[in-house]
Amino acid sequence: MVSNADRGSRVRLPHSLAAAVAVIGVFFVGPFAYVVWRNVDLGTDLGGVVFESRTIEPLRHSLWLGIAVAVSSSVIGTGLAWLTIRTDLPGRAFWRLAAPLPLVFPSFVGATALMAGFASGGLVDEILSPLGVSSLPDMRGFRGAWLVLTLFTYPYVYLPVAARLSALAPSLEESARLLGRGPWAVFRTVVLPQTRNAIWAGSLLVFLYAVSDFGAVTLLGYDTLTEQIYSDKLFDQPRAMALALLLGGVALVVVFVERAVDRRRQRIEISRSRNALTVELGRWRWPSVAAVAVFLGNALLGPIAVLGFWAWRGLSSDLESVGLRTDVGSLFMPAVHSAAAGLLTAVVAVAVVLPVAWATARYRSRLGSAANSMIVAGFALPGVVIALSLVFWAIDAPVLQRWYQTLPLLIVAYVLHFGAQATRAAQVAVDAAPRRLGDAAATLGAGRLRRFATVELPLMMPGLLAGAGLVMLSTMKELPATLLLAPIGFDTLATEIWGASDSGALAQGAVASLVLVAVSAVLSWAVVIRRIENY
Amino acid sequence: MRRTLFRSVWVALAIALAAAACGSNAPSESTITLYSGRSQDLIQPLLNDFTDQTGIRVEPRYGDSAELALLLQAEGDKSPADVVISQSPGALGLLAGEGRLAVLATDITQRVDPGFVASDNTWVGITGRVRVVVYNSELVSADQLPASVLDLVDPKYAGKVGVAPNNGSFQDFVTAMRNELGDSETSRWLTGMADNESPNYPKNSAIVEAVGRGEIDMGLVNHYYNLRALENDPSVPSINYFLPADDVGSLVIVTGGAVLASSDSPDAAQQLLVWLLSDAAQAEFAAQTQEYPLVEGIDAPAGLPPLGGLAVDTIDYALLGDGLSGTIELIRASGIER
Repeated sequence: MVSNADRGSRVRLPHSLAAAVAVIGVFFVGPFAYVVWRNVDLGTDLGGVVFESRTIEPLRHSLWLGIAVAVSSSVIGTGLAWLTIRTDLPGRAFWRLAAPLPLVFPSFVGATALMAGFASGGLVDEILSPLGVSSLPDMRGFRGAWLVLTLFTYPYVYLPVAARLSALAPSLEESARLLGRGPWAVFRTVVLPQTRNAIWAGSLLVFLYAVSDFGAVTLLGYDTLTEQIYSDKLFDQPRAMALALLLGGVALVVVFVERAVDRRRQRIEISRSRNALTVELGRWRWPSVAAVAVFLGNALLGPIAVLGFWAWRGLSSDLESVGLRTDVGSLFMPAVHSAAAGLLTAVVAVAVVLPVAWATARYRSRLGSAANSMIVAGFALPGVVIALSLVFWAIDAPVLQRWYQTLPLLIVAYVLHFGAQATRAAQVAVDAAPRRLGDAAATLGAGRLRRFATVELPLMMPGLLAGAGLVMLSTMKELPATLLLAPIGFDTLATEIWGASDSGALAQGAVASLVLVAVSAVLSWAVVIRRIENY
Repeated sequence: MRRTLFRSVWVALAIALAAAACGSNAPSESTITLYSGRSQDLIQPLLNDFTDQTGIRVEPRYGDSAELALLLQAEGDKSPADVVISQSPGALGLLAGEGRLAVLATDITQRVDPGFVASDNTWVGITGRVRVVVYNSELVSADQLPASVLDLVDPKYAGKVGVAPNNGSFQDFVTAMRNELGDSETSRWLTGMADNESPNYPKNSAIVEAVGRGEIDMGLVNHYYNLRALENDPSVPSINYFLPADDVGSLVIVTGGAVLASSDSPDAAQQLLVWLLSDAAQAEFAAQTQEYPLVEGIDAPAGLPPLGGLAVDTIDYALLGDGLSGTIELIRASGIER
């Protein structure tokens, strides 16, 4: 059941949708406009900053890291999604729950755990040195940053691809199997072309995450644009703002390229069937489990083990520790705050970006593309810049002022920052709802809203939930905007982890991190994973 | 299916509203807002004591000192903050330079040595942390330790001394060195450290961890990170070495407090600083956070050398704020950032 959609054709955007897209677009221009204004206000010598030698090197690092992480994450994310959704991989219900979770580690926690684990004299070294292993690979610099970011960002690819696969009719794969093709051939010739959109969407997010990451690159000593923005932010503000603009520019170029590639691509609309297909892995069954176990062992179990070790050491220590709270009960409210912020932001973000995704995917609208670019660029700007832009727009505004440092405005900051994660997944979701079905419903007399609610929305659900899941997990670990804009007393697990690490309370931070992982696991299962499977 | 989705949205909304309701109380006249670069664990008990004694409620926003300074800068006169506490004198200097800080009453500024007060009396030091050399006692014996931080450029220390050139306290230390020895000698020292290929770390705690693991022999840090590390794991072989008192390497970096010029309750705001500089609060700092109290007559934390022996009054703290952009240029030019 594959049909080519009318590629390239442009249908006029309905007025109401156009208006909605325009409003949403203006909203997302906010942070970018702030960066531009700051550059003008500070009189930044933009050309001078961008082309000086100490900018070129970090720029090269950012691009190289972004591309490398995007490539490795898309390979791993896609492979893992196919194995867990489509095959008879043993224990796949468990793997489906575990696979999206590494996204929830704040990257500084992941990097710290990796260094404690693998650095010379670290835990692994202590375990291996009696066995005669004397030197471990150096994890600092590019190698470490690439590894950490790959381990913790591949879910950006995994979730959209898994959602796409679970919405995909298995008929083609079945035919291919009946014609005697092996699992790998089926994957390459049937599955890959159908999931390409989702893979692209995910890798773009990974790229943007990698170029805007601060935690892992500073801890692992890899000098990127974002690292420079952070070190210049207070005492060399013109340069920091010029670099932020450059980062935003890089994001826009990448979005533009991605859209251009996307436009030339053939659209494949697929209707769904409820018959689940399971590819039998045969003799690849156990090697596949081993590969998945080794990978998730490193991405999830490794950090959890290190955190668990720290927590256990702190909790079992009988020292009268100064300022060391390891009381799990005190984490209850932060956990509630994190969960509430994550859920709310996920719902709002999906609702806000859906019209834009609809306009770009359905109508190939230029207005939609422009709005989309701004949404995506918001993900590349460092969180602290997003937060400051909101201060700038809200502090003097007549109505917004009253909402300053309240929950609604904090959610706005999260949506501005993470909207991109929902929009890319939403576009994939819109692609998954064939126009034909809506048209058929229309000929049967169904009104626009009814069509949307009864036909299109259910078809888009897996994709939208994947997007919502990404936004939720990202929000729960967000730090800079939370610290600056949350209502006073609105501690989250992320701020608890940060506070503990700031005061050197390793055990306390580890306990909070473990609670964050547990809450994320429960929420992703309840809100996203269980439902993706049910659709 | 849709029903369950909508239901989870409503549940989330309800939880969030309930949570927001718990977190916020109507501000009264006796409520002040504090932006604190000092983390919750290290200051909340003192804030509670302050409220008990004065009836003034404190609403604290915790964050990174530099980011809170940026926030205050962006908020301008509309800032809800009344008091700011910063771990970085540089960030306070920046705010003072922009006219955002009020002049403090003399009963506050006279509590501490003039060396710990901004030259325009806009901020005051509350506690201090001392720059030390942390070393791994399994790799380094006591007689291999330098007599001065200036000796670390000796080739025998090549590759062995961890530094955090992008970290605020390293920058403060370099500013002090400029103040003490002049730019050209400071530059020579930085270049020497660069030639020695001193390993870079993002922050103090990372250096302490690396020394503890034996990844490097020693590192330049603030004194209390190692004390924290030992609390987490007493078996770690990392030891703080306090440089001689007259050495520029033994700089005291203050955590400072200030009142915002835009505060609508300046009296209550100044009262908080009065409390933090009271004998009781200062003794509490020494006992609980192992930082040096700055008020005279209060003992240093147990087991640490007394602050009086360290060269504190020779450093002009005003320069630590104003001179920071010059310091960053010197650090960058030296090539110590790797």
